[in-house]
Parts: sequence; C-alpha cells; structure tokens
Amino acid sequence: MKVLHTFCIVLLVFGSVSEAKFDDFEDEEDIVEYDDNDFAEFEDVMEDSVTESPQRVITTEDDEDETTVELEGPDENQEGDFEDVDTQEGDTESEPYDDEEFEGYEDKPDTSSSKNKDPITIVDVPAHLQNSWESYYLEILMVTGLLAYIMNYIIGKNKNSRLAQAWFNTHRELLESNFTLVGDDGTNKEASSTGKLNQENEHIYNLWCSGRVCCEGMLIQLRFLKRQDLLNVLARMMRPVSDQVQIKVTMNDEDMDTYVFAVGTRKALVRLQKEMQDLSEFCSDKPKSGAKYGLPDSLAILSEMGEVTDGMMDTKMVHFLTHYADKIESVHFSDQFSGPKIMQEEGQPLKLPDTKRTLLFTFNVPGSGNTYPKDMEALLPLMNMVIYSIDKAKKFRLNREGKQKADKNRARVEENFLKLTHVQRQEAAQSRREEKKRAEKERIMNEEDPEKQRRLEEAALRREQKKLEKKQMKMKQIKVKAM
Amino acid sequence: MSTNNMSDPRRPNKVLRYKPPPSEGNPALDDPTPDYMNLLGMIFSMCGLMLKLKWCAWVAVYCSFISFANSRSSEDTKQMMSSFMLSISAVVMSYLQNPQPMTPPW
Repeated sequence: MKVLHTFCIVLLVFGSVSEAKFDDFEDEEDIVEYDDNDFAEFEDVMEDSVTESPQRVITTEDDEDETTVELEGPDENQEGDFEDVDTQEGDTESEPYDDEEFEGYEDKPDTSSSKNKDPITIVDVPAHLQNSWESYYLEILMVTGLLAYIMNYIIGKNKNSRLAQAWFNTHRELLESNFTLVGDDGTNKEASSTGKLNQENEHIYNLWCSGRVCCEGMLIQLRFLKRQDLLNVLARMMRPVSDQVQIKVTMNDEDMDTYVFAVGTRKALVRLQKEMQDLSEFCSDKPKSGAKYGLPDSLAILSEMGEVTDGMMDTKMVHFLTHYADKIESVHFSDQFSGPKIMQEEGQPLKLPDTKRTLLFTFNVPGSGNTYPKDMEALLPLMNMVIYSIDKAKKFRLNREGKQKADKNRARVEENFLKLTHVQRQEAAQSRREEKKRAEKERIMNEEDPEKQRRLEEAALRREQKKLEKKQMKMKQIKVKAM
Repeated sequence: MSTNNMSDPRRPNKVLRYKPPPSEGNPALDDPTPDYMNLLGMIFSMCGLMLKLKWCAWVAVYCSFISFANSRSSEDTKQMMSSFMLSISAVVMSYLQNPQPMTPPW
C-alpha cells in the first residue's frame, strides 16, 4: 500500500513537471524531439526563445568593450556578454526552465533578430592602434622617395666631380704651356697657380688662367647638368641637354681690332642676337649661312661687316669649325662686349655699359647628357682652336675702309643711345643742380655768424647773376648765327 | 700648342688675379629655382603646421631638399638649414597631433 502510494506521488510530481513542460511545447512543432536528458530542455528552449518576444531585451552595442543590456530581469545577466551566454550553454544543471535564467542568453539570438531593426555598425580599429606598418604605406613611400633623392644627389655630385677632374687632367698640359697662372681663386695673397678647379656649385666649375701674350686672362667655366637634382634628371629624360664648356678670353685693348663677329648653330645665334647687347646693336641682320666658306649647314654667321667674315674664315678656322661642328654651340668675338642686355625699371640706363674686348666660346660636351670622363678628350682640339683664335685676333686687322665703317657704326650706336636717354639725362642734370642750390642754402642758413651769412648770400647772388648773363650771351650768339 | 715654337707665349709679368664676377642680381636671374623652392617649402610647412595637413608637410620637406640640391655657392647655409628644420618640424608636429597614417585622395 505504502509503496503504491509513494509511487503515485512520484508519478504525480513527474506528471506535473512534464505537464509544465508540455505547456510550453503546446505550440511548438518540435515536441517529438523532446528528449529526456539533461540538455534536451536547454536545446529546445534555446530555439524556442528565438521566437519569443524580443522586446524584453534591448541591446545597445556601441563598442565591444561594453554591451549594455537593459533587462527587466535579475542582476545575474547585467553584462550580457556573449561569453556569459556561452557559459550558460554549458551549464549542466538540469533546472526547470526559468525565464530569468536565459535572459542573458537571449541577447545573442535577440540581437541577431534586432539586426534588421538596428544595423550594427562595426567600427574599425583606428589605424594607428593597429600593430601593422602596412597602414603607413604612404609615409614609407615618402621616405623612400627622399632616400632616392639623397642617393641621386650623392651619385650626381660625384659624377660631375669626376667629369670636371677628367676635363682638367686632359687640358692641364695645354693650359700650362700657354699660361703662367693656371687656376686662381682670388683669395691667395700671391699670384700662384692653385692647379685645380674652383668649385662654385655642385654642377659649375671655374678655372682662371692668366699670363700670356695678347690676352689679359681666360676664364673657363664647366657648366655641367644638374645631375645632383633628381627633378632635373627626370626632366632631362624628356628633353636631352648637353653639358657645356664656356670660355671667355679677355683681350688686351691693343691686341684686338674693333669688330663684332659670331658663328655658331642657328638657334644659338638667334638667341644671342636677342640677348646680347653688342650683337643686337651691331649685327642687325639675320644669321647667314656659312656655306660660302665651306661651313656645314648647321652653322650660321652673324657679322658686323663682310670683311670681318672674310678675314676670320681662313682655312684653319674653317677646318676647326667643320670638323668639330657638332661640339660647337657658339663662337663670339667682340670689342664691344658688355654682357647681356640689362633690363632696368626706370627705362634706359643713363650711361653706356662698359665694354671689353672679348672672345667667347661655348662648346657642347659630346654625349648629350650621358657623358663619360673619357669624352672630355674630345674637347682638347677645341681648346687648340681657342688658342689659335687668340693669336688670330691679335694678327687680324681691318683695312682702312673697314676701320672707317666700324668707327661709323660705333658712333651711330652711341648717338642713338644718347638720343634715347636725352630726356633722362636732362632731368638728372636738373635734379643735380637743384641739389646743389639746396645744399648752398642749407649752408647759408646754418651759418651762425650774421656777417658771414650776409657775405655768403651775396656771393650766391653774384653767381646767379653771372649765370644769367652767360645764358643771355649764348642766346644772342645763337640768334646772330641763325641770322 | 704655341704658335711659335721658339718663344713661349707665357708672360709671367702679365699675370692678372682672378676677380669673381660682380653678382648684382645675376645669380637670381640665371636660375631662380633655389629661391622659389625655398619659398614654396616655407609656405607648405606653414600650411602643414596650421592646417594640420600631412601631405603639405611632406611636400615642404621635398621642397627644402630640392632647394638645397640646386643652391648656389653664394647661398646662405643658414637659410637652407632653417627651411629644412621648419619642414621637418612641420612633419613631426602633424604626426604628433594626429598619428593616423596619411590617406590617399583616391
């Protein structure tokens, strides 16, 4: 009896429990799957709770650190982390289903359903907090660029230096046999040959030679390309340019006659004619072809008069010009050389610029940019041409006719210049006179002694009177002459 | 080669000392690159500092390098150094204020 009684009670208890469960499952489809094991309840419950009302859980997921979950439920699920939910999954306690137990649990499935309503913005970790250098690829690029620039600077500088040294080594003997002083930077007390080039820049080298018949001195300037500047290197890839050697020989006044003459490539001559003061004034015609003298077509001639051209173009000169035409940019002989035209803001300068008898040579180094030290040997014959030209300039003299023409030309140029500047010069003279008067007056005023003052004033008055009289005399004379 | 093998063309008594050509603004006329680059470098570094633009600061560094490479011998090294320091400081300040890497405009 008792056994039967206890068995009934147990059955009842079980029944009530299972009934409760079945209540939940009434609406469910998965009743068949209900399994009488510990986890079965949880499994089904998990699926069930997905479809349950999601309004109970509100999750705000702004950042990973904190997921605030607002629940009606107990404190045990305050954090609502997924980890907590996970641990709950592994809970081996077979407790009866309790809403509150699974509230944290519901976060995960609930939030996935609430995705449709509140899109989760997954924010990237800020790049600088990432431990990867890849995000700084632009900076790395910049630094690489800078390193490339520095490398190019060093390489370019060294190359220019080697080219300069190669040039000097090739030409040293010739120069030393012709000039006493080879290499001077102007700083030493004594005039002794330094025997080396002056480095003005990373791409410009100077050499001053002096102490020879006929000329005061010769300044050689090696104008290399800016190999040390990467931008320039890149620009040159588009448009090839050559290194240049510029030689300027300053002649003694007695050793050169008066003429202006130039020969060179057509392009160079057109440019020089525009830029150079003397060429623009004395050689007004367009560059003429030198075919008459046997020059190649690439070269043209600018000359003050035909006689000069005839005199200059002797066999040896023609030989030089023909054989080395590709290396010659321009050759310019002038007794009126004053450099390029000066542009002044106030109009014309008040005085004609100083002129010097000069021979100028511009040579292109072969290679068109891709030069090697051994190319410098190709320039040695050109230096011979320079020396020959110096001697020739001394020997060449214009005949009487030529001299007259030359003098006329120079007078004409001077007159033109004076006419242009007449007004300015008048104004300048006027202002100078006014200055003088003012200075006088100042002096008189500052004189403390009244006697002296009076005397100075009288002297000034007398001077003024004299000037007026002189002017009147002049006017009278002009009138008489006119009559 | 001398024109006359008998006599030496050299004249030790006619030696003239080298006089550096008077530079009355000629250097600036010949090649204004270093001056322009210097100015650009300063402008870019000020922009980079004030407007907190990283690319400005980097361009300023490049400008000061280019200005240095193209500089003439008569150029003041103090000027070069100051523009260089300014551009480096612009870069450093931009990164201190905002350590994020540069974003390309594309």
